[in-house]
Amino acid sequence: MLTEKLEKDIIRGIENNIEKGAQYCDVRLYSEDNSESLVFYDGNLEDNAASVERGLGIRVLYGGTWGFSATSRIDNVAETFAQAFNNAKSASLLVKIPLDMGRLPAVKGSYSSPVQRDPFTVPLKEKLDFIVNLDNILKADHVQRRIIWLYQQKMNNWFWNSEGSHIERNLTNCFANCMVMAQDSDGHMQRRSKSLHSPGTGTRGWEMVINPDLWVGRAEGIKSELSDLLKAPEIEYGKRSVIILPGQGFLQVHETIGHPLELDRILGYELSFAGGSFVNLDSFGKLRYGSEKLNVNAYGSIENSPGTFGFDDEGTPENDYMLIDKGVLVNCLTSRAMISEANKTAGKTIFDQSGGASRSTAFHKAPIDRMTNVNVLPGQDGNLDDIISGTDNGIILDNPTSWSIGSNREHFHFGCEIAWEVKSGKVTRTLKNPTYQGHTLEFYANLTAVGDASTWLVEQVPNCGKGEPNQVMEIGHGIPVMRFDHVITGERS
Amino acid sequence: MIDNQTKDAILKIRDQAAKKGIKALFTLHREKSHLMRIGNNSISLSTSVDLTRLDVSVIDGRKEGSYSAMGNMENEKNVESVLNMALDKAAFAAPKEYDPIEKIVEKETVEDFQFDPQLENIQPENKANVYRDIMSNTGDDYNYSGSWDSGSTELFIAGTTSPDTAWRKGTDQQFSCVLKHPEHKWELASYQTGWQNGTVETKKTITDFNRVIDIYKQPAHSVKAGEYTILFGSQAIAVIISMLLWSGFEGRKYEDKISWISDKKIGDKILSDKLTLSDDPANMNTFRFGFDLNGKARHLFPIVEEGRLANILYDIDTAGKYGKKPTAHNISYSIIMQPGEGPECPLEGVKNMGKVLFIPALHYVHIPNASKGIFTGSSRFSAVLLENGEMVSPIYSSRITDSFFNVLGNIELFSSKNVSVNQSSTYDRRMPEAFSVPSYMVCTNVKITDSADSF
Repeated sequence: MLTEKLEKDIIRGIENNIEKGAQYCDVRLYSEDNSESLVFYDGNLEDNAASVERGLGIRVLYGGTWGFSATSRIDNVAETFAQAFNNAKSASLLVKIPLDMGRLPAVKGSYSSPVQRDPFTVPLKEKLDFIVNLDNILKADHVQRRIIWLYQQKMNNWFWNSEGSHIERNLTNCFANCMVMAQDSDGHMQRRSKSLHSPGTGTRGWEMVINPDLWVGRAEGIKSELSDLLKAPEIEYGKRSVIILPGQGFLQVHETIGHPLELDRILGYELSFAGGSFVNLDSFGKLRYGSEKLNVNAYGSIENSPGTFGFDDEGTPENDYMLIDKGVLVNCLTSRAMISEANKTAGKTIFDQSGGASRSTAFHKAPIDRMTNVNVLPGQDGNLDDIISGTDNGIILDNPTSWSIGSNREHFHFGCEIAWEVKSGKVTRTLKNPTYQGHTLEFYANLTAVGDASTWLVEQVPNCGKGEPNQVMEIGHGIPVMRFDHVITGERS
Repeated sequence: MIDNQTKDAILKIRDQAAKKGIKALFTLHREKSHLMRIGNNSISLSTSVDLTRLDVSVIDGRKEGSYSAMGNMENEKNVESVLNMALDKAAFAAPKEYDPIEKIVEKETVEDFQFDPQLENIQPENKANVYRDIMSNTGDDYNYSGSWDSGSTELFIAGTTSPDTAWRKGTDQQFSCVLKHPEHKWELASYQTGWQNGTVETKKTITDFNRVIDIYKQPAHSVKAGEYTILFGSQAIAVIISMLLWSGFEGRKYEDKISWISDKKIGDKILSDKLTLSDDPANMNTFRFGFDLNGKARHLFPIVEEGRLANILYDIDTAGKYGKKPTAHNISYSIIMQPGEGPECPLEGVKNMGKVLFIPALHYVHIPNASKGIFTGSSRFSAVLLENGEMVSPIYSSRITDSFFNVLGNIELFSSKNVSVNQSSTYDRRMPEAFSVPSYMVCTNVKITDSADSF
């Protein structure tokens, strides 16, 4: 798809826009953006779909505002450049705070996800044989519903900007989940599931999907836990400690640390849909986000994660940096124009460089500030057994069933698949229909135990939604076991 | 009508496939979209996209496969290539335990009664002027943001089993403006929708803001956990209805005992007898689709009649598996909630009801327990405490966690006036959706379970 002529046309188009007065221009060309979805539901292949997207997206900064245009027809390059420029020019008529990208040296490079076996070269029959085997493991007398889901992505894209940057990326992602369901003694459906996680190292091709340590090996475990749930009593309303396993902790961190630390949300650019943030520009270096045990980073160097992509969608190499250091907020997820605006608005330099978090989900969507790998660092409170033995009255929680968060991420409510009661340092019984809620800063202030590296793994998020037009992004979260005290659990009767 | 080159390419490959005995459905989706985003009193982004996609789904005995590609579909080779990829997917698929229902275009259909070329080609300057007028009329002391999405969606469907084709082209728009106090962080919002150019009015948004802006200068009220009478605005009603349908009325969830009405039968009383819901593709308050993406013709479809379960929505796979008829819902719904007898003005409606929480919109609604029909979400935008129909103070972000049975079983009053609420999601491709719901609804004994000390 990328021919010499097309590349010349793209570079000439960028130059033309700069000659016409644009401050900055970039182009993303997707030669292929493949996805494949397989859903096996009670032994039936209910979804067997694949797709490919090809096209280019052009972004122009003119007069302090962005114009963007995209087309799936590569023969429309000149027209698409003109449309992007005109969109920016007409938008520049209403600008109170001009956006600015600054000026950076050209970046030239490439990135490829580490892959042993490309999932798109694995024959469908081989994938289905694997799924059928797993489905057989999930069968049991007490299991009424079985669902297995595989989703794979592979894309090749090219980036150019008016600073002379030129980057090629080849990204591969594999996501998977298996779930069993059955009606409990009250006739209500309960479920247990396990998603494919990453150990953080290694490769992320088909070999990851078939690695029993990463999800498939838990199939017997979730069946057994479902059996326990069917006979379990309902959780009672009350305050207690919650020990959150990575299968739930990733979403807690995603919703109440990741999203409120996106700089475009902090600056108010997402108010009409996703919402804002309780974090202010004067919070950095001052706001106590949590207890001293809370250490969070944005770490692009995890070699095996959907949040690792080499360079963001404005050419910034992915960065590693602390977001929360010993409980104090020190940085956030940033892109070039947003840090420029934040520094201007604050009247001082809060952010000295982009965090490389400007991401777009497709060639036809403009980049916005997104999460990369937002991780809670392992602590020194031992393994899960150690944390349980130090807990007087609590529950262990795993896997989300629902998530609802306040518009500024100041409060939250989560439902989980399963809870295990902990009394006097021992697991006593299984509880069904667990929920918990809290206020973000109060919740993290009560973080009293963080598991060591043996409890840490990278949960993969295939479906983070944000932006207008809406974009669904892939993200990773490295999460240890965590314990929070004084949490409201269950619902008032 | 669809351009002749694309139509000819699809129909030629369709006819060739039909001769070979292939069972395939071709769906072309073309969108021209423009979106303007406002942030910090400026236009932050103005986007245009022009995208063409072709989806082909194939049934091969009990095996199915589908493939979707973007690009130039005037070219027969490209169309044939998408078909071949779908055939490959089907050929190597695992057979189902049941006979899949074939996707057939039921009748020749041409629809463009909700298409306005002026809206399709609306100039960004026009949108900028509306936002500029709103800001200058409401005041410079505030921080404005918002978005205005507009565009056209064209669908063309042809299958190998029937010579008929279905075509629809329509325009739609979704406008929002959020006013935020820069220090106190309270937020007011105004929404508008429609399919015609000129239906977004500056005056309406200014009126929406002015209605509550003075009360928001008063100290805010923190709502304690407990049961309250709540006046839901149209945005909140639409999201509750949307979640109600998703969690309760989809055939797969109903048949698989995941739905909160799985133990109910058609005709059973499930909600307030004041509640009547239907899917009516003829209603002009919604974005109308006369056929679904499987080629099935759409008609008036009762869902809840005076609180009684009237119908379940069956997708084609669930219908095949459970021996039901698919209900033409593989497309945006045109949900109509019948209006009530309350006065048009919501404050008048609650003037004798004492303390009432007015919650115009709900943020981030989810379902913590699908089997029990429990939903949760928090108040957002322009929420106020009322006493006997008078606005008393703004309220901080407050969480409702309650069941559909309780909230929609305790309806006290509906507005007699319906309004259109845009429900479009553009996570994937442009597909407009709007519900027609009463402008307000009053429910008693609704559970507030938490409140923040901020907006």
